[in-house]
Amino acid sequence: MSEAVLAAHGVRVVYNEGTESAVEAVHDISLELHSGEVLALVGPSGCGKTTLFNAIAGLIPIQGGSVTVSGERVDRAAGHVGYMLQKDLLLPWRSVTQNVTLGLEVRGVRGAKARAIAEELIERYGLKGFENAKPAALSGGMRQRVALMRTLAFDPEVVLLDEPFSALDFQTRLLLQADVKRIIREESKSVILITHDIGEAISMADRIVLLTNRPARVKDVYEVGIDETADDPVAVRAHPRYQELFTTIWNELELSPRPTR
Amino acid sequence: MADPASPPKAPATRAPVSGTRILLYQFLVLAVILAAWEILIHLGVIKAYIYGTPSGVIAAFGEQIASGVLIRHFWVTLQEVILGFLIGSLFGTLSGLALWLSPLWARILHPYMVALNGVPKISLAPLIVVWFGLGMGSKVAIAAIITFIVAFITSYNGTQQVDQDWVRLMRSLGARPLQIFRTIIVPGSLPWVVAAFRLNVGFALIGAVVGEYISAEEGLGYHVYYSGQLYDLDSVWVGIFSLMIMALMLEVVVAWIEKRLTY
Repeated sequence: MSEAVLAAHGVRVVYNEGTESAVEAVHDISLELHSGEVLALVGPSGCGKTTLFNAIAGLIPIQGGSVTVSGERVDRAAGHVGYMLQKDLLLPWRSVTQNVTLGLEVRGVRGAKARAIAEELIERYGLKGFENAKPAALSGGMRQRVALMRTLAFDPEVVLLDEPFSALDFQTRLLLQADVKRIIREESKSVILITHDIGEAISMADRIVLLTNRPARVKDVYEVGIDETADDPVAVRAHPRYQELFTTIWNELELSPRPTR
Repeated sequence: MADPASPPKAPATRAPVSGTRILLYQFLVLAVILAAWEILIHLGVIKAYIYGTPSGVIAAFGEQIASGVLIRHFWVTLQEVILGFLIGSLFGTLSGLALWLSPLWARILHPYMVALNGVPKISLAPLIVVWFGLGMGSKVAIAAIITFIVAFITSYNGTQQVDQDWVRLMRSLGARPLQIFRTIIVPGSLPWVVAAFRLNVGFALIGAVVGEYISAEEGLGYHVYYSGQLYDLDSVWVGIFSLMIMALMLEVVVAWIEKRLTY
């Protein structure tokens, strides 16, 4: 495989460090994301996935280790990492196009040039006709699509997805999973997907990192190894390897959290 | 404009009431009140020299409009209110929003903001009259200072209510504080800014009228106060009704602006 675009080494996150209420959320996590790869982080609810996500995205300080994107410290590499959350974070006073161009504007790409990039994405990914609509007029699935376009528009080296589909209904989720998978392959993006949904992880990722209960540590890593052509999430779910992986990960997942002190 | 006289939504079985009928009923409410008032005076239940009479109020209205006195008072107060409102709301909003840029200053100013928010702002009026004199200037100043405080505090609170995840998203995109301010904070605080404008219509009126009570030679507040001193209660009512008309007018304008500004 090619070199790592994102590397985490010994990442440790402790809340309220040095006080009596100190809580370690992430313990010594190391992982590498290779160029063009989709890596899923799976773990039981409340295991510290979102904390790890925030650490990788450079949104919170870490108490140990390092996160680098293309060799640069992530908290100094603004604009190299794009992320998408369960919350779409669309600005309600801006149109679809203006939401998509947000990242470009911050980078100084404005006017017709930014609009052209946005409109191309909007057309390619099925929201043509909604360019001037306000987010309030869109469905949940459409809003998440706009959020993804906003992330892709400024062409980040790494895309982080934190439970991006969990607020959607089941059908929309399946359709959007397929779409997002296709889009990130077409754009050959390197992606980290955080999810508690094992099925989602298997159908979208190339590699799955299983995390333990809090404090989160890497428990195991699985190569998915399902033919890439199987973009259809339903077809993936029919694959024998899917069943096998699902059962393995399910059994390894520490479902009952240990009692907290 | 919010319509206080309109009934709650009728159940599905009832036919909807048309707008013109509502308007008719609204006038009817006024007519009934005035008629009851007039009748009670004539029956001797309440005294005309304490309450005034509707017929006397209407006559005084006509007279004072014809003589131009009422128009002059109305115009003076309207100018004070509008000027005070604009100066106070504008500078208050700008400073309140700008305070977002400096968390340090926000912390320093916090107790002062709490104190200013809590104090009945109208208690500043006598001081301002001393500082700004007896003319229109002092009434504009009272209205401006009160509306400044309200706009400043409300719009600063607005900036604190803006979704922090938007701010984080902008930071991750590499946005500088001024960019975040322009792109997220200002538009995101708009609902609070508009709310402050709405409150300030009332505060500007209170400021101007109380200023006129304290010392003035013209304006509706002066008219009401002076007529009260003379026990000319019909004229007091003329002043009060004129202030109500002014409040309604300003409310319509602000509601219209609100409609364009909200998303």
